[in-house]
Amino acid sequence: MWEILLHSLRKGVVTAKPAAPLPHDLAPAPRDSAGPIELLGEALRSEIHRLFGRSMKLRHVDCGSCNGCESELQALLNPFYDLQRFGLDFVASPRHADALIVTGPPALHLEEALRLTDEATPRPRLVIAVGDCACSGGFCAGSFATRLGVHEVVPVDVRIPGCPPRPEEITRGLLKALRK
Amino acid sequence: MTGSTGTPPLPLDHVLRSLRERFADAAIEAEPGRRREQRVAVPAARLSEVAGAVRGWGGSLITAFALDEREPHGHFRLRYLFSMAQEDAVLTLESAIHAGDPHFPSVTPEVPAAHWLEREIQDMMGLLATGHPDPRPLVAHDGWPRGCHPLRRDFVPPGDMAWPPRFAFTPVEGEGVFEIPVGPIHAGIIEPGHFRFASVGESVLKLDVRLGWKYRGLETLARGKRIAPALEIAERACGLCAFSHALAFSGAVEEAAGVLAPPRARALRSLAGELERIYNHCGDLAGILLDVAYAVGAAEGQRLKEVAQQACDALFGHRFLRGLCVPGGVTRDLDDARQRWLRALLARLRVDVEELVRAATANDAVMDRLAGAGTLGPEPARDLGVVGPAARACGIGHDVRRAHPYAFYPDLDFQVPVRSAGDVSARFSVKADEIQESINIIDQTLLRLPGGPLLTERVVPPAGRSGLGLVESPRGLLSHWIRAGEDGTIDEWRMRSASHANWPAVAIAVLDNIVPDFPLINKSFNLCYACVDR
Repeated sequence: MWEILLHSLRKGVVTAKPAAPLPHDLAPAPRDSAGPIELLGEALRSEIHRLFGRSMKLRHVDCGSCNGCESELQALLNPFYDLQRFGLDFVASPRHADALIVTGPPALHLEEALRLTDEATPRPRLVIAVGDCACSGGFCAGSFATRLGVHEVVPVDVRIPGCPPRPEEITRGLLKALRK
Repeated sequence: MTGSTGTPPLPLDHVLRSLRERFADAAIEAEPGRRREQRVAVPAARLSEVAGAVRGWGGSLITAFALDEREPHGHFRLRYLFSMAQEDAVLTLESAIHAGDPHFPSVTPEVPAAHWLEREIQDMMGLLATGHPDPRPLVAHDGWPRGCHPLRRDFVPPGDMAWPPRFAFTPVEGEGVFEIPVGPIHAGIIEPGHFRFASVGESVLKLDVRLGWKYRGLETLARGKRIAPALEIAERACGLCAFSHALAFSGAVEEAAGVLAPPRARALRSLAGELERIYNHCGDLAGILLDVAYAVGAAEGQRLKEVAQQACDALFGHRFLRGLCVPGGVTRDLDDARQRWLRALLARLRVDVEELVRAATANDAVMDRLAGAGTLGPEPARDLGVVGPAARACGIGHDVRRAHPYAFYPDLDFQVPVRSAGDVSARFSVKADEIQESINIIDQTLLRLPGGPLLTERVVPPAGRSGLGLVESPRGLLSHWIRAGEDGTIDEWRMRSASHANWPAVAIAVLDNIVPDFPLINKSFNLCYACVDR
């Protein structure tokens, strides 16, 4: 117990602190899309309060992505970003969801699954396409086994492009979705 | 491991002599191979027998695929690639299948590792594997129209593109047997797959895994593309092993073109490959701990994955290292300041991983779940051709970095951690040890980083030449095979990932375990779906 406390004190709070900052002169030029996660998160929290009262629940549907977008969506919940603290979470059932997060071009094999998941989501709901594939087919464009974006199967409210979009970019996109 | 000194034995000499002696009647012609590949033509009728013999002589199946050569030659061609690990050689068995009679005797009864590969050949090329123990479609869901074989050269996409997924499952009957269907959409941020459990009480009696949901037709899509866009497709076949895919693809193109990446590029490739292994394995440790509800450890593992990915981003401009590896070399360099920064970061990571593993393994509640769960014995693992950390957790010390050294590995001294228990705990330990070993490899690479250019001149393989790239991805053996077309295009591309080899083993490892342990066992393998479905 004391050891754990000591350890925590030594390590400090890791949330939203750059995990491994490069020395200032080495750091890459800041990307305009990425802001400090705290500021984004607080903005997200106030939008969620305005629209949903307390929290927003997302249901993720993978429709044939490469697993890159999944990894970045999972990263949103890691101790560094920890979006749960701003009232955002992923749920296991579409029945509990306020929004669907869809990744993948979609693959034809998953069209029916996407449609059924969408039907099972209570209205009103947002559909958010995450990643280049979900926005426009991405690198799969031209394949006979995929569509040119999620909007060909279900109506899309917001697109978050990127291959894959960084966690900050996804957060910013979610904010955009709520301000719409 | 150091580079071999003296004159190496002629690859495969012994095996080829045995082949000639034992199968003299089978009209085997051994054409002299290139750098490390030896091809042997075998009549289809004897394929299974010869493949069985090769396996007996120490060959392990890398991949198997079919090529459509009806246009010039009037036949399909089957290829079974075996790794002869002790000699860094590849033995390829080839059979011509007459276009008018598209059948071949299945090799699976002799070499079970060919199981899924042959089912896929049936789907993709329309060749029937007679005598296959489970000839159901693998990728092609049962709604595919008749005659839809996407890897045939004359393939025309069917007009009716809505493919409702319908499956035939193997029914399990008996008193008290329940069927539990799971998926394809799962309760979490995970990829889609359908699992059909047959259970008695809580014990799993049988697990039927149906994948293919993410099928995007990538191998068909890449056909005829120039190298750069084809690389983009190869790199995006899998998100988490993106660098390994780019490396294996680049290796295949370089072999076909007969060029070698410059020394500094080879060293940076090893370095990036190990960074990829580190962030994947940190994520895997987190996943395993999350599934036994050890939240503190899971959070720490996720944090370490994030640290490694941010390092990838800061050093090479992409959290998944995309765009770094190209045929002919790498696109980004590491200057001295960045090297020092990376070494300091990894020194901290090393201590953090040690602490995490110590805390987790000292926790009885955690070990109670890990030890003995999802045991995979060495025999089924060997039969099914299991690769990577999953194989090394049940005593099979195979590692591509040793067996077929590439990039900077011939110049590096490193260990291959092996455990024997074959359970979740063993897979956890192997991955934890591999993180430490990866940090060793990166440290060594940085100490001995050669100078010189990052890229060779243009890499354009002559039309018709083929190449094979083998890489130890975080999940194990990954192979990319290409044949060049005219004007620097890719004519044919075949890829097999480690997950493709390992999925059938998950269905074995889960037997007699309780259903609630399935997520844990599945996570301990942490297989990818995207690069299996393709």
